[in-house]
Amino acid sequence: MTADTEKLIERLAQGVGPVRPLSPPWIRTAAWLLVAIPYVALVVFVVSPRPDLLAKASEWRYLVEQLAALVTGTAAAAAAFGMTIPGYDRRILFLPALPLAVWLGSLGEGCIRDWIQFGPDGLSLQPDWFCFPSIVLVGAVPAIAIAAMLRRGAPLTPHLTTALGGLAAAGLGNFGLRLFHPQDASVMVFVWQVGTVFILTAIAAWAGRYLLNWHSIVGTNRRSVLIR
Amino acid sequence: MNRQPDDRALATLMRAAQAGDTQAYVLLLKEITPRLRQIVRAQRGFLRIEDIEDVVQDILLSLHVVRATYDARRPFMPWLVAIARHRLADAARRYTRRAAHEVQGESLPVTFSDEGTNLDRGEYRDPEALRQAIMALSPRQRDAVEMLRLREMSLKEAAAASGTSISALKVSVHRAVASLRKALANKP
Repeated sequence: MTADTEKLIERLAQGVGPVRPLSPPWIRTAAWLLVAIPYVALVVFVVSPRPDLLAKASEWRYLVEQLAALVTGTAAAAAAFGMTIPGYDRRILFLPALPLAVWLGSLGEGCIRDWIQFGPDGLSLQPDWFCFPSIVLVGAVPAIAIAAMLRRGAPLTPHLTTALGGLAAAGLGNFGLRLFHPQDASVMVFVWQVGTVFILTAIAAWAGRYLLNWHSIVGTNRRSVLIR
Repeated sequence: MNRQPDDRALATLMRAAQAGDTQAYVLLLKEITPRLRQIVRAQRGFLRIEDIEDVVQDILLSLHVVRATYDARRPFMPWLVAIARHRLADAARRYTRRAAHEVQGESLPVTFSDEGTNLDRGEYRDPEALRQAIMALSPRQRDAVEMLRLREMSLKEAAAASGTSISALKVSVHRAVASLRKALANKP
């Protein structure tokens, strides 16, 4: 062993204190939901739930779409947490794929149904700028919480991990939005709401290199070890 | 889970290290260092010995900062190898980037014909004084020197890692170098 490496080992060990091992991804996901869900509920309560919420709760199509959005967000969070654990089974990456497919599929099916029922009018698009800021508002605390939690893990795949974190927060944001925003036309939901979710996911993916990178954590540590 | 006895021993050491046991941690790091060196050599045989050692140290530091991600219920070696693989990939990217910007030139034996300019001053003789001078810098200047000069990160990388702008980094490193010069010039 070279003298430098031996010295490094001694210095690393000198400052070693007890660390609390990270919980498995599904437990961390539950912890995240414990923070995120009450916040979403609070926003829905403050903005005031849509007047037809009780009636919508008995519509299976609405329920499927909402459940799929919620499960997509939850699965994406679990996948993001799994991606920060070295050696963890990488197949966890595909966990959100099924609920996402169900979500997109149910909206796609809704678009086809509207087309058959109303013709081209069924797919007409109107501006709905309310969606973007609302999803950002509802997803803000879940996003901050998941970013803080992901930073405790290893930055193995920064872009992918933060994209999954973004999908989790935005998915939850969309779930919350549909509890107070009475917009159910499939094409509108698809373009304005799911579109927003994808844009936020892309922004989160871009931010990955700033949020999670070895340079900052190892660099800071190297400096503290070297000047000790 | 069926684990190799060796892996179980390393996992036990790691668990003790997570609990704050210094001895176990030293033992663990000394145990895995030759294996890491072997992994790096096998994957990057073209690297020079000092570069291999640099990557090994990088992996040890990485392991140290993410030691909380080890779950004692899972095998140790796959965890370690995953960290090593990612750090190796990072090192390869750094190496490629550096090689792409390197210009092969003829080595010039002299700078100017005047004798005074050709004395051997290639190596700094008092690393302790340099270390102290670096420690005396402001945190921002120390960060800039550490990232740009010691770790040889590009300005863009350093800006991304520190969350500051490229121009602020340039100013910091310029001031830091001036301070270091001044501090070291005063040394006997």
